[in-house]
Amino acid sequence: MPSIDYSSAADVTERLEQQLVESLTGDTSVSRRTVLGGLGVAGSAAVGLGSSRASASSDHDDEDEHGNFGAVGEYRDLDFDPHEFLTAFNTGESGQDNVPQQVYEEDGQTVREFEFTAVDTTITIAPGVEFQAWAYNGQVPGPTIRAVEGDLIRVKFTNLGRHAHTIHPHLKNLNPRMDGIPQNGPGVLDTGESFTYEWIAQPAGTHFYHCHSLPLKEHIHRGLYGTIIVDPDPERVRENPRDYVNYPGPITDDMRTRFVEEAKSRNHEYAENDAVNEMVMVMNSFDTNFDGGNEVYAANTRAFAYGIGSTDGTGNWTAGETKRPIQIDKNERQRVYLSNATEFDLINSFHTHSQFFDYYDHGTTLTPTRKTVDTIMQTQAQRGIIELDYSDHEPGLYMFHAHQSEFAELGWMSFFEVI
Amino acid sequence: MADKTQKPTPDGGVSTENEVTQPLGLPRWVSAILPIVLLVLVLGVFAFTSPLASIQSQSGEPLPDVTITHTTLPSDETVVLHVTNNGPDSVTIAQVLVDEAYWNFQVEGAGGDQTLAPMESAQIVIPYHWNPGWDLNVALVLSDGATFENTIVAPSQAPGFSLSLLWTLAVIGLFVGVIPVALGMLWFPYIKTMSDRWLHAVLLFAAGVLGFLAFDAGFEAFELAQRVPGAYEGNLLVVFGILGALTLVQAISAWRKGRVAAGDSRASSGLWIAYLVAVGIGLHNLAEGLAIGSSFALGRVSLGAFLVIGFMLHNVTEGPAVVAPVARGERPSFRHFAALGVIAGSPVILGGWIGSLAYSPTIGAFFLAIGVGAILQVNWEIAGMVRDAGGRVASATNLLAFLLGLGVMYVTDLFVVL
Repeated sequence: MPSIDYSSAADVTERLEQQLVESLTGDTSVSRRTVLGGLGVAGSAAVGLGSSRASASSDHDDEDEHGNFGAVGEYRDLDFDPHEFLTAFNTGESGQDNVPQQVYEEDGQTVREFEFTAVDTTITIAPGVEFQAWAYNGQVPGPTIRAVEGDLIRVKFTNLGRHAHTIHPHLKNLNPRMDGIPQNGPGVLDTGESFTYEWIAQPAGTHFYHCHSLPLKEHIHRGLYGTIIVDPDPERVRENPRDYVNYPGPITDDMRTRFVEEAKSRNHEYAENDAVNEMVMVMNSFDTNFDGGNEVYAANTRAFAYGIGSTDGTGNWTAGETKRPIQIDKNERQRVYLSNATEFDLINSFHTHSQFFDYYDHGTTLTPTRKTVDTIMQTQAQRGIIELDYSDHEPGLYMFHAHQSEFAELGWMSFFEVI
Repeated sequence: MADKTQKPTPDGGVSTENEVTQPLGLPRWVSAILPIVLLVLVLGVFAFTSPLASIQSQSGEPLPDVTITHTTLPSDETVVLHVTNNGPDSVTIAQVLVDEAYWNFQVEGAGGDQTLAPMESAQIVIPYHWNPGWDLNVALVLSDGATFENTIVAPSQAPGFSLSLLWTLAVIGLFVGVIPVALGMLWFPYIKTMSDRWLHAVLLFAAGVLGFLAFDAGFEAFELAQRVPGAYEGNLLVVFGILGALTLVQAISAWRKGRVAAGDSRASSGLWIAYLVAVGIGLHNLAEGLAIGSSFALGRVSLGAFLVIGFMLHNVTEGPAVVAPVARGERPSFRHFAALGVIAGSPVILGGWIGSLAYSPTIGAFFLAIGVGAILQVNWEIAGMVRDAGGRVASATNLLAFLLGLGVMYVTDLFVVL
């Protein structure tokens, strides 16, 4: 017996999605957000309705009895795949095709160099709903940068958008010129201008970068944000364990060894890291009608992207399925690098069903800042690491979503499929 | 007052003869002036002694009242707010919010400071890199913390003044105004051959067309009046425009009837009414032009072929309305036809220019109202014309024709979405 049976889970997702799209296209009065400036209308018309949802084994059809809204269609725009984004780390050695990068030594220091551009583009945020975005390298969230503590991150940034942009990193940055704000260094970069940012990757943790041009609200919520992961250096951990734990007592050799092991599991250059399934999630949201409130919420831009599709229950989806749960191996340790880019709402949250996890706020510690919780919250730009273990669970679908129910019903609703 | 016989008044009294002599033997003009002089004196006393000062301190302050009448976007890095102080006291614009963020700004046209005297207008210039199509919310924060906000929906750049814009508007005016009216007038030979009954039906059809336009423009005027700064009393301005135009044109008409009674043959022709109809429709088309021109000025233009076609269908029905009154009697010379067509159709061009160059909701609402008044008078006139020709205004045929006029206008109006 799976924890949630497949077809009803699929129905729930579909119904929520239908509600979202309908509220966006102004067909119903299901929410306070029914007025939309025609954005979604064209899109939803373009999306053919009706899909061939293969029915998975089903014990009951409650949703159907209460009426089903019908299918909403798939994401047609395949430029961005949230499933690929989950595990796309740009380290300089390897990464995404749209992020030119290299890694080299300079003065005994590892330099990870990336080429970033800011462009104006259109992204899809719900099936058939488009959003005019400003995006680093054409994607929202921007590319995930990954470095090791102490490395030099060099970003050659060119602005190709209509508006002036910058990149501001949430790192410990010792040079004000590199802070990426209008008042320092090159200031904002107008259309066609370039600047090379150089940041020391410190402290270890999971961090946030975003555009700091004015008006700030607009520049962030239009899509100019992303994640910088700084892996702890196990050698440095061995020498300065106190920098990585919030613990005043004596540090035994045993503890030191454990911290080093933990650091290795976090560091992508160590074999220990291969045993962990790591995922990047940026909680974001979109105001499509300029009313200062969001119409669409998501983890990684696309509403319900990790919702349930048609699955045979062993992680096989129908061809062309764009909305599907995140498939995870129950015997692998799961780690989520979570950050919050949501604008207009004070906080966002992450809640797992049938599961408790350890949370490392900002990812700057090797011991959890919150132990055994199933819900955490983040304000904008807050981030952290979530460690999950599904080894005891039966295979099947396990929901995770924002526990602001409103956000969940507006798109921030997802599933892990444990196999 | 040559009649000296005493008539009993309805209440049984008897009217006395006018008192010709003035009290104290003063000349007549003194008794005319005296109240005014006294009023000035009383006002002067009131102003200098301010007897209400003690009350004033207890009765509180009037609330500030500022209107953002309209906004213009001269470039993609500038937003200009046109503001008027309607309140009885001066207001100081302390801060400006753009999309809920404090932003820098300059006040122009308020005498170099940020304070607006009562009834004073100014422009607030905001250097802000807005994005076409993305709504922009702006709010003024006064020195006492009161806010007045305005949302610029789907902003787009205004074209600004240029000869090419004037030319564009002239061409548009030609197509939506002059040409359709002229085409409609080509029905004249056919209308001439009609029997009285059908001619009257055509006249009533024209009245229906005009009646619809009156409502159309009337609603529009009241809608626009909402944006008129409070001190100008937008709604009452519209009422004044409607009644003013109605009575003014009616007075001219009555003067003409007097001339006819005095034996002026020219004044008795249907041509007179045709000109009145042309003036009424011309005023309406002026307002139509204002709408087109102001949508240019506000950068709100979507003049697709569809819109132009809609206007043409809408306006072609105005042609027969103009020429129907001259279907009887002698055919007027071609000059008159040309003049009628120009009077009825060309104001679209003029309105377009006014609307694009000197846009203001106040002017727009007032012009629309004048058009409504003129149209109402024309309908009055048409009814009289049918009656004078021995027809019955409210016959079944005529009523149905009137209804058809309304219906045709309603349907063609669906094509015009500005």
